[in-house]
Amino acid sequence: MRRRDFIALVGSAMAWMTPAGAQTMPVIGYLGSETPERYSSRLNAFRSGLAEAGYAEGRNVAIEFRWAEGQYSRLPALATDLASRQINVLVAAGGAEVALAAKSATATIPIVFEMGGDPIALGVVDSLSRPGGNLTGVSSLSVEVSRKRLEFMREVRPGTNVFAVAINPTSPTSHSQLKNLRAAADSLGVELVVLKASNEQEFDNMFTTVHETHAGGLVFSSDPYFAYRSQQLAALAVRHAVPAMTQSRDFPLAGGLMSYGGDFAQSHRHTGIYAGRILKGEKPADLPVQRVTKVELFINLKSANALGISLPPSILSSADGVIE
Amino acid sequence: MADPLIAPHSSLFRKYFRALFAAAVVPLLIAGGSEAWFGYHDQRARLNDLLNAEARFAAVNIQDFIEGIRDQLVWTVQLPWSDDTGERRRLDALRLLRQAQAVENLSLVDATGRERLFVSRIGLNRIESGDDHSEKPAVIGARSDRIWYGPVTFHDGSEPFMTVAIAGNRSADGVAVAEVNLKFIWEVISGIRVGRTGEAFVLDRPGRLVAHPDISLVLRADEIAQRPLQTLRAAILARPGQAAAGQDISGTTVLAAMVQIPGVNWSVIVKQPIAEAFGPIYAALWRTGALLIAGAALAAMLAYWLTQRMVGPIQLLEEGVARIGAGQFDHRINLATSDEFERLATRFNEMASELAVSQERSERISRLKRFLAPQIAELIDRTGDDSVLDGRRVEVVVVFCDLRGFTAFSVRAEPETIMAVLREYYDALERVVSAHEATLINFSGDGAMVLVNAPVAVSDPALRAVNMAGDMQRSVQKLLAHWRALDHQLGFGVGLAMGPATVGRIGSEGRLDYSAIGSVVNLASRLCSSADDSQILIDRVTAQAVRSSIPLVELDARTLKGFDEPVPVFSAVI
Repeated sequence: MRRRDFIALVGSAMAWMTPAGAQTMPVIGYLGSETPERYSSRLNAFRSGLAEAGYAEGRNVAIEFRWAEGQYSRLPALATDLASRQINVLVAAGGAEVALAAKSATATIPIVFEMGGDPIALGVVDSLSRPGGNLTGVSSLSVEVSRKRLEFMREVRPGTNVFAVAINPTSPTSHSQLKNLRAAADSLGVELVVLKASNEQEFDNMFTTVHETHAGGLVFSSDPYFAYRSQQLAALAVRHAVPAMTQSRDFPLAGGLMSYGGDFAQSHRHTGIYAGRILKGEKPADLPVQRVTKVELFINLKSANALGISLPPSILSSADGVIE
Repeated sequence: MADPLIAPHSSLFRKYFRALFAAAVVPLLIAGGSEAWFGYHDQRARLNDLLNAEARFAAVNIQDFIEGIRDQLVWTVQLPWSDDTGERRRLDALRLLRQAQAVENLSLVDATGRERLFVSRIGLNRIESGDDHSEKPAVIGARSDRIWYGPVTFHDGSEPFMTVAIAGNRSADGVAVAEVNLKFIWEVISGIRVGRTGEAFVLDRPGRLVAHPDISLVLRADEIAQRPLQTLRAAILARPGQAAAGQDISGTTVLAAMVQIPGVNWSVIVKQPIAEAFGPIYAALWRTGALLIAGAALAAMLAYWLTQRMVGPIQLLEEGVARIGAGQFDHRINLATSDEFERLATRFNEMASELAVSQERSERISRLKRFLAPQIAELIDRTGDDSVLDGRRVEVVVVFCDLRGFTAFSVRAEPETIMAVLREYYDALERVVSAHEATLINFSGDGAMVLVNAPVAVSDPALRAVNMAGDMQRSVQKLLAHWRALDHQLGFGVGLAMGPATVGRIGSEGRLDYSAIGSVVNLASRLCSSADDSQILIDRVTAQAVRSSIPLVELDARTLKGFDEPVPVFSAVI
């Protein structure tokens, strides 16, 4: 046995003997915009990333959670609360709002964010390759691909030229996404009906408006608020018989028609890896912001059948996941 | 004699230790050193082969990645463009995106260089846009070389991308241009492991990091930080086919080998930390070091043991020699080592006993010499029997002599003159007494008493005594003549008598003299007193004994003190 191995063994043996919750265990502060239930699939991915970096909650790392339960206005206070505690790294996952709240709460504690959209344009970091300061993280491609959702919807509903798009006006990316969508609509030669919704009470109305405007389908812009409510939205889409498409695979899994967006499992896993690397002593400034490589198309054939839609071969051949 | 035992102790130890060190440790050192040297070279050669093989393997994997994309692209340029193939080509292109995850965008350009189709994962697809791409380097490059690899570009200064363009067999088939996300090489490159911690990475032609198991190093796109890797590549290029040592980004010293990928002109480099690569050598060095320490310890132990084995007997010998030297001849050195030390001790013991004998003898001689002629003393010593000194009655000749007029001289003369005269006088007497093997019994002032035939018996004592008296006269008369010249009026007379006397050692414990007692002593003394200068007076017994040999003159009988009747007196004529 090598000496280093021996020391490591002794070290881990001592760590094993130290009672749980001892002060030697590093602490991750985790800031989430919703509830643990809505985050569960993302939390699993995050934990698998942590495990890849060698950390397991309760064994050699403790995690302090703060949940805003959908009320983004509570995020800054929760972030400040976490920053005032003895945490080694602050994980701000699940959207630009969370990242921005974390950024304004501390300039010293390392922050690992996970968000959609362009972190530079949103003012989270100055550069992807050298984020500088105390922030780094993972950016998914969901926001960039909002227009692709309109394109897919157009392909699925070739007979119509009017489509509804759902925008959350409180989202920091809503303006750029709407601009992109309008440009896409122009090049696709379709008309847009823009529906705004920033709370759950407006959801029902949104789906009825789709019918009223005879829109061919409802395309959701990329927004965590919508993504976390995929099941609710899917149920509404089924009830109102609206062909709809969101960024999250949770939506077709829950009965919605389609989804196209960055692989959140990948982005949250990378967030976990980065948190682990920072716990091991790396500096956020040395860790470039990663963009997920994978954008996935999920379709639910059962929903398509229920809606009387026959999916074209171009969609079927492009799909990463088909639910039958 | 201050600590005579400590100094040789340490010095012996040092000698033994040096000798044993040379015997045990030096061969070990040589063996270990040569093992390390040859081991290093063998290991270096082995590592060279291993790293080169791993580099080839890694290069093949990277090449497979690139060729996989190329093979996918080839399908899209197998048919010439016509108006009715648009939808099928679109499906093919979408399928390609599905198959080749690394391709982010694909555009198909027809024979005239117009873009007919563009599909993307992120951006909107375009059909029949008609944009003129004929002047784009990708299209020109693919037309001239069939396949064209663009330079690596870093999107937003971070993510590595490369454009791959491929042309169909005929110019009518058009060109497919794909933008490839090189982050996908991560899966290939992170699967390559050399040893325990060795890994592979890829540099493009200008030396920028394209792929690395730690993708954040690629995404950082930090050319300054990547400079060590370029230096490493330059070191390998300087000696093609050989593994070279250098530093990686983290500053670890590594051993690296490289294989170039043609077409893209990338360098696939595998590296292994030198500490790990030469682990077996270090282990061998540790073993040698441990053996050296053990060898040195063994040498020290042996040296200590041997020194103790040596020093004990040597100390005993030294102490014994010191005691014998100090005169303790009865001291014996007890050594039972059954080796040269024991023999040496035996020799010392023998020497001590011989010294004891010799000392006893010399003591006796010096004792005897006090009152015996040296020859007689030697004789007694040789016979080893001093019983001759025991008291007994024996026929002896007693000779007395003294100086005439000495008392008057001693009153007149200076003490120095008196002493000088007496010294010359006794020197002369002693020489004569010794020559005739007589015994000088004592002297007081100017008178001396000499005994013949005791303690050592001699032949014809009377004749010997008279001859001796004659010699005395002659010797002393010579001196007297000299002294008279110096105006010292002195004379010399001798008287001797023969007869039985009791002889032996007489005296107290502190002062012991050999002497004779009897009337013959008185007689001789009286004869001496009545002798004139130059005269030798002899009693009747002696005269009868020497009459035949020495001419004698019979004088008138004299009345001597202590003798009732007049004593016949003879004078020896010499």
